[in-house]
Amino acid sequence: MSSIPSPPTSSSNRVRIVVATSVMLTFISYWRAAAIVLNDLASSAFYACGIAEQAVGKSAPWFIVGVMLFSFTVRAVYVESCSMFVRGGVYKVVKEALGGTLAKLSVSALMFDYVLTGPISGVSAGQYIVGLINEVILTADAHGWIPRAVHHIFHGTPQFDVNWTSVLFALAVTIYFWWENIKGIHESSEKALWVMQITTIMVVVLLGWSAFTLLKNGYQTVPLPSPSNLHFTKESLGFLYHRFPGDSLPRMFGVLGILIAFGHSILAMSGEESLAQVNRELAHPKLKNLKRAALVIALYSFIFTGLTALLAVMIIPDSVRVPVYKDNLIAGLAMFMYGPEILRLVFRGFVVVVGFLILSGAVNTAIIGSNGVLNRVSEDGVLADWFRRPQRKYGTSYRIINLIVGLQIFTIIASRGDVYALGEAYAFGVIWSFAFKGLAMLVLRFKYKGERGWKVPINFRIGGIEIPFGLASVTLVLLAVALMNLFTKSVATVSGVAFSAIFFAIFTLSEIANKKKTARSNKHMNDQFQLLQRDTVERESLSIRRSNILVPVRDYNTLTHLHWTLERIDTREQDVVVMSARISRFGAAAYDLAPDQIFSDYEQTLFTRAVAVAESFGKKVSLLVVPAADVWAAIVQTANNLESSAVVIGVSSKMTPQEQAFNLGRAWEQLPEPKRQFVLQVVPPDGRVDTFRIGPHSPTMKDEDVLLLHRLWLNITREPGLDKLHHNEILREALTRFARDYGARDREQILKDLRRVNSSDTAERDTSQGVSGPIGRREGGEGPPVEHTP
Amino acid sequence: MDLLIKVVARILETMFLVGIFGSLGVLIVSFVEDVETLFDMEDSSHS
Repeated sequence: MSSIPSPPTSSSNRVRIVVATSVMLTFISYWRAAAIVLNDLASSAFYACGIAEQAVGKSAPWFIVGVMLFSFTVRAVYVESCSMFVRGGVYKVVKEALGGTLAKLSVSALMFDYVLTGPISGVSAGQYIVGLINEVILTADAHGWIPRAVHHIFHGTPQFDVNWTSVLFALAVTIYFWWENIKGIHESSEKALWVMQITTIMVVVLLGWSAFTLLKNGYQTVPLPSPSNLHFTKESLGFLYHRFPGDSLPRMFGVLGILIAFGHSILAMSGEESLAQVNRELAHPKLKNLKRAALVIALYSFIFTGLTALLAVMIIPDSVRVPVYKDNLIAGLAMFMYGPEILRLVFRGFVVVVGFLILSGAVNTAIIGSNGVLNRVSEDGVLADWFRRPQRKYGTSYRIINLIVGLQIFTIIASRGDVYALGEAYAFGVIWSFAFKGLAMLVLRFKYKGERGWKVPINFRIGGIEIPFGLASVTLVLLAVALMNLFTKSVATVSGVAFSAIFFAIFTLSEIANKKKTARSNKHMNDQFQLLQRDTVERESLSIRRSNILVPVRDYNTLTHLHWTLERIDTREQDVVVMSARISRFGAAAYDLAPDQIFSDYEQTLFTRAVAVAESFGKKVSLLVVPAADVWAAIVQTANNLESSAVVIGVSSKMTPQEQAFNLGRAWEQLPEPKRQFVLQVVPPDGRVDTFRIGPHSPTMKDEDVLLLHRLWLNITREPGLDKLHHNEILREALTRFARDYGARDREQILKDLRRVNSSDTAERDTSQGVSGPIGRREGGEGPPVEHTP
Repeated sequence: MDLLIKVVARILETMFLVGIFGSLGVLIVSFVEDVETLFDMEDSSHS
């Protein structure tokens, strides 16, 4: 035991709660960060050019290329904001620069962006899939494989209604991810990286094959982006069409036409906001890695989105490009490559698979992102706490998820599968959140006096005042495009303004209603709890003794494991630390949390219950709240920092104790050195505890194993020159040989044997009884001892 | 009304033109840094 005499006490009767303010993160490389952002940003390549060409005509690819080049400068704005605030997203930056009201407005626009991301991605994925199915049916029919009777039933070749089938598909994907988010799925950068690897294979094949096709078949010219080559429609001129019929106005002012066309192509760079969200998870050196990630993202999306747009117009004949392939342009590109039809069809299938992966990923990102935004905004007191009430079984903010998915489902059905209409509306959210961001960053150049790691270039001084020429230029473009879009995108303006106004009204009314409640709740909290702010979780600074027991809690209705621990522990001898991890997942990172936000209403209720449990035993517990991105990482980091001997958790509704232990073990493996081993105990309501050892440890050897080792030792020590050999030396030699065989020729055989051992061992374990728990007592009624080696 | 729209159009045109030329400058200046970042990537630590 440590020399520190007692657990933390307070001079008053209030319970001390330590609030760690640094988020416990597992850091990722810039490649992984880039992959996460590209999952969102690169998905727009599947629909952006089709939408732009319908709006402005055949020269659209040049505008897509222009937007992708411009995205390099928007990226610079994000790098500067992230070098100022670890969470440098729109809300944080606008709030710092322009105040709460405009921050609420900017978040309303961002919410519109997020809510639209799901439907446009889902419907677009549907368009690709249905397009392929219809093409396959047509091909089969051309070969005479469709029976006449089927023709008779469908009055010709059977074809799915592309738009409505896409709607059904988008609904299915959205509902699937709704359920996954209700359950609280864990987002991994591994998956994002894998999707981007597959996408890269597709991009390489696409570009290579396109180059070959251009050599063999020649190409169609893409008209230069001059005002005379722009062909606006009634829809793409919006409100201007009624005042200036035809496209007289854009032609009257040459540059105005270019601005309108640029505005119709801006959604090609949607997704930049994700860069601010992954920034905090970037490994050291943060700024350098942020720049690398931003460069990878900008280059990749320029090559993929920009070049694909150009190639589509160069290769797909005008007669079919817009009429047939406007909503699945890359699939159309695959169909007009040089080569046999079957190969083209197979490649189109591959394009559809990649499109499905990346676009349905974007549906999920949209739900996660908007859930994060609303969660954080509600923590700022501008959304009623009612929304954040956790789901009883899974602990997720299900009301927010329901609201978002409800809005997305409404949008999908209202769009009737029209990707163009969705894209036009989507652009509203994208450009206005960028415009707010640029404006706020410009204001912060004069207002913000804190540390700034990097600045958007081209800055000069006039009379001692620094003029941010570069940043001002980028902001001017963003504002000009945002304002222009208000006139030219009538559907987007009406729906975007209505949506943002409704959200703004909800935020404002909630804020007023919350003020009274917050004052009351703060008083209650100040009476009962004393918040102590610490940057990091350190045992000494928290006055907690070594070999303590860490009890993570999440749901105040399931504190069985705390009961179980307190029944067995004498807190005068061993400290019990009750810990709550305040999870802010990917997508929520753009929002800074103050200590009183980390310790919110929910934590207050949770800890009130935990203290009541401790008081019912007459025992003292230490309370700790840590913000974290991943609950497993938070638990192992806290246990390591506090030098805990055991971690006691409740059983999960989503996974078995073995899976819980596996996740914890994996998080432990990712901990930096020095790291300590500890015991994990999973306590279900019936009290049948599962015990796992986390980290490398001596295995429990069965009697027959010891006998076998001993027999070997007896035999070997009879050999000349080996009489002084020890048991452990035999074991080491055996393990070394095993490792060599496993790494070489006998791997498969070894795995086969181990699987056989594993299955017979499991059966054996199920019948075993009793285990010595780390808490110090033999529990006859406990479950089996399961050793866990991650 | 039409006059107002034309004035607004002129203002937006000017904002866009100035902004685009300035952004082009940002692109060119940051290109140098980007090339350095690109060639420095091999030294980075992966996690």
